[in-house]
Amino acid sequence: MLRYFARKLFVYGLTFIVAVTVDWAIPHLMPGNPVLTLMSRIQTQDPQVAQQMYDHYMRAFNLDLPLWKQYWYFWVSLFHGDLGTSILQFPTPVMSIIVHAVPYTLALLVPAIVLSWYAGNKFGALAARRKVLDNTLLPFGYTLTATPYMWLGILLVWVLAVTWHVFPVGFAYDPTAVRGFSWPFVSNLAYHWFLPFLSLFLVAFGGWAIGMRNMIIYELESDYAHYLGALGAPQRLIRKYAFRNAMLPQITGLALALGAILGGALVTEIVFSYPGLGFQIYHAITNKDYFVIQGIFLFIIIGVLLANFIVDIVYLIVDPRTRIGMEGGRS
Amino acid sequence: MKSRSKAAAAATIAAASAAALLMLTVAGSAGASQVSYPRSQTLITSGTQWGTIAGFNPYAGSYAAGMIGLNLETLLRYDPIKDKYINWLAKSAKWTGAKQFTISVRPNVKWGDGKKFVAKDVLFNLKLLRFKTSQWNNLYLNIKSIKVKGSNVVIGFKSTPNYIQWQNAMWNIPMISPAQGKVITSAQKLTTYNPKNPVGTGPYALDKKGFDPTTRVVWVKKAHWWASDQGKQPTPKPKYIIDLVNTSNTNSLSAVLAGVEDLNNNFLPGVNKLADRKRVLTYFPKAPYMLSANTAWLEPNTTVKPLNNPLFRRALAMAVNPKKYAQQAESGLVLKADPTGLLPTWKKYIDPTAVQDYGFTYSTNKAVALLKKAGYKKGSDGYFMNKDGSKIDLSIMVPQGWSDWEAARDMIIADAKAAGIRLHAVIGDQNAWISARGTGHFDLALDNHWQISDNPWTYWNGIFHLPILTTGTGQVNFNFERYSNPKAWALVQELDKTPLNNKNRIEFINNQLQTILMKNLPLIPLWYNGQWAQFTTLRWTNWPNSTNRQFTPVMWGGYLQMTGIDMITHLKPVQ
Repeated sequence: MLRYFARKLFVYGLTFIVAVTVDWAIPHLMPGNPVLTLMSRIQTQDPQVAQQMYDHYMRAFNLDLPLWKQYWYFWVSLFHGDLGTSILQFPTPVMSIIVHAVPYTLALLVPAIVLSWYAGNKFGALAARRKVLDNTLLPFGYTLTATPYMWLGILLVWVLAVTWHVFPVGFAYDPTAVRGFSWPFVSNLAYHWFLPFLSLFLVAFGGWAIGMRNMIIYELESDYAHYLGALGAPQRLIRKYAFRNAMLPQITGLALALGAILGGALVTEIVFSYPGLGFQIYHAITNKDYFVIQGIFLFIIIGVLLANFIVDIVYLIVDPRTRIGMEGGRS
Repeated sequence: MKSRSKAAAAATIAAASAAALLMLTVAGSAGASQVSYPRSQTLITSGTQWGTIAGFNPYAGSYAAGMIGLNLETLLRYDPIKDKYINWLAKSAKWTGAKQFTISVRPNVKWGDGKKFVAKDVLFNLKLLRFKTSQWNNLYLNIKSIKVKGSNVVIGFKSTPNYIQWQNAMWNIPMISPAQGKVITSAQKLTTYNPKNPVGTGPYALDKKGFDPTTRVVWVKKAHWWASDQGKQPTPKPKYIIDLVNTSNTNSLSAVLAGVEDLNNNFLPGVNKLADRKRVLTYFPKAPYMLSANTAWLEPNTTVKPLNNPLFRRALAMAVNPKKYAQQAESGLVLKADPTGLLPTWKKYIDPTAVQDYGFTYSTNKAVALLKKAGYKKGSDGYFMNKDGSKIDLSIMVPQGWSDWEAARDMIIADAKAAGIRLHAVIGDQNAWISARGTGHFDLALDNHWQISDNPWTYWNGIFHLPILTTGTGQVNFNFERYSNPKAWALVQELDKTPLNNKNRIEFINNQLQTILMKNLPLIPLWYNGQWAQFTTLRWTNWPNSTNRQFTPVMWGGYLQMTGIDMITHLKPVQ
C-alpha cells in the first residue's frame, strides 16, 4: 500500500512540476507584452515619460530579466507563497484576486460535479432497464452532453432571463444587494447561482447518464450476469452486481472529466458574468496578465491533481481487485 | 439497503447544496444589516471596468470608475461640446506671464474628511509630478518654482512652457488629499498608492461595504458638496451610484434589456434598432446616435514597401469607403471621419481650403488611375505589383474579438481588392496588436489611440512625434505609423509652445499640419468612434441629449471631469 502511494505521489509531483512549468511558459510565449498593454491605458503626452514609466513597470515585474531568471524567480516566489502582482490590476496581489474568485467557482463546481454524477448514474442505470426511458429521455441526454457549455448558458439566459424574466441575467448577486450574513442576501446568491449551476449540471448529467446506461447494458450481457441468471439468481441481484461493476469506469471517468468540467465552469462564468476563476482568467488572458494566468492555473492544477488523488483513494476502496492486487504484489 | 441508499443520496445532495451555499456566503458576505440599496435612489452603470477593479489610485492605468469625477476632482474641467474650460476647484487658473501660471483656489471647498481644500493642497499635488512614474513628469521638469501666496499658487517655468500640455494637465491632474497622499514618497509608491477609503472633494464617497472588486464599486452621496452648496451644480439625485464590472457586449445587452443597468457605456451592435423602437435612449435620437470619442484610422506602416510611397497611400485612401464602414460595421452609430481626422469638437480648426485641395474621397476608379499614374502595373492576377515586379500582399491587423472592427477590416479588404490592392487579415488578440504596433511588425492596422481632448495638439503629437524608436520595445504610445517628417514635428513642438491667445499662429500651424496630413496620409482617417452610451428610463430620466442637455454621457476615465458629472447631477428619478 505504501509503495502504491509513494508511486502515486511521485507521479503527481512530477506532473505538478511539468504542469507548472507549462503554466509559466505559455503566457510568456504568447505574442504581446502586458506592460505595453498597461501603458496603452495611460495617456501621457510625452514619449520619454512613457518610456520611463514602461521601464519602471518592466523592472517592477522582473520582466526586464532573461527568461531563465524569470523562471527561477517564479519558483522561488512560489515556494514563498507569493503568486506575484497583477499587471493590469496593479497593485492588486494575485492571491487576493484568487481568494475573491475561488468561492464562486467552487460553489458552482462542487454541486454540479457531485449532483450530476450521482443523478446521471442513477438515471442511466434506470434507463438501461426501462425501454420507455431509454427511447424517450435518453436522446435528450445525448443532446445535452453534445451541447457546448457556453451555448446552453446563452440559451438559458436568453429564454429564462431576458425573455421570461424568471432568473437574473448574470452576476453573483443583484447589483443593489447589500452583502451580509442575512437570509435575503443568501437567497439572492442562490437565485443568481441557479442558472449557471443548471447549465453545468445539465451538460455533465447527460454524459454520466449515457455512460452508465451503456455500461449497465454491457455488464448485463456479460458472462457472469448470464451465469448468475442461469443459476436462478433474481434479476434485482444481477442488476445490483452490474451496477457496481459499471460504477468503476464511471469513477475513473470522474477523474478524467474534472478538467473538462472545470473548463466548462470557466466558460459558464463568462456567459453569466459570474465572478469566479473563469471570469478572472478570461480577462487575464485577454490582457496577457502573466501573473494572474499563472496563479489561477496553478490553483486549477493543484485542484485537479488533488481531486484525482482522492479518486485514486476512492477507487482503492470500491474496487476490491485493486486492493487484492496490491496486497498480492506486496506478498 | 434501499433506505440506506436513499439516505446516502439525500446526504450527498444536502452536502453539495450546503457546500454551495456556504461558499457563496463566504464569497459574497461582508457583514451588513441593510438588505439592498433602494433601487429608486440608485443609479446603475456599466461599461468602464473590465476585470477585477484594481483600486483607487488615480495614477495607475486602471482604477475604479468614478474615482476622478465622483470622488476626486480636478482644478478645471473641459466641456468638449461647447469647447470651453470650466473653473472648478480653481476659481481661476490662467497664464499670468509668458512663463507664469497662477491658480486661484476656490474658497469654501472641503475634503471628505472635513478639512478645508487650500492652496497648499494644490502645491502638494503639483509636487507629485516630480516622480518619474507620473504621466506629467515632463511638465514638472520645466518648473522653476511653485509658490503659495495666500489662496493662490504661482508656478514659474524655466523655459517657454508647454502651454497646451499644461492646460490639458489642469483638467486632468486629480487632487489627492495630502492627508492620505503623504505616504507617496517615491516613484514606486506613486504606483502602489491605493487608499482603502479615498478622501476627495467630489460629491460621492466610497461605500466600503458595497465595494466588491470582482463585481462593483458603490459610491454614496455626501451630505454636502461644495458645487451644490455654491450653486454651481444641482444636487445629484442618485443616493448611490453602482458601477458594475462588465464582461462582454452580449452580457451588457442582456443587462440593459432586462433593466438591470440604467446607463451602459459599451459598444452594443444593433443598439440603433433598440433606439429606433424607444427601448433605449441615445444622445442623438437618430443616426449617428453617439457623440464622437476618437478617430478610427487605417494606420499604414510607412517604412514598408509600397506603403512608404505617399501616392500609394493616397490611392489606398481613395479605395476605401469610410461611409460604408460607419453605416454597416458600426451599425450607423457613428459618423464618417473628415479627411483631416479632426474630431467634431475640433471643427473650428479644420481648414476647408486645405480639405478641398488635399482631401480624398472614395472612388475606386480614381484609386486605380492614381496607382497607374504613380507607375504601378497590374499583374496577370489583376492585382497591382510593386514597381520592381514583386507581389503586393499587405497584412491588416485588428484586435481579435472587436467585432465591428473585424467587419470593417473585411470590407476594407474587399474594397481594396476592387481597386487591385491585395490585402489579407492577420488574426491576433489585442496584446499582439499592441505589440506589433509598438515594434513595427505590421503592414496596416486599424487604430484609434488618441481620445478626445481640449486641443488637436494631442492628435498631431500622436501622429508626428519624433524620434522613432527602432530598438527595444519600439514606439510606446506615439507615431505607430513611423512617419518621419521633421517639419511636421517642428510645427507640433511649436504649437505646444505657442501661447493660447496667439490665435493666428495656432490657426496657421493647425492648417499646416492638416495639409501635411492630407498630402502625405501617414494615416487614413475612417470614422469617429462613439462615446457609446445607451440609457433606460425605467428609473432615471433627464439623460443627456443633443438638444437641451449636452453633456458627455460616459463614465469612462477622463470623461466625468469633462461634463459627465453634469449628466449625473441633472438626472431625475422616475416618480
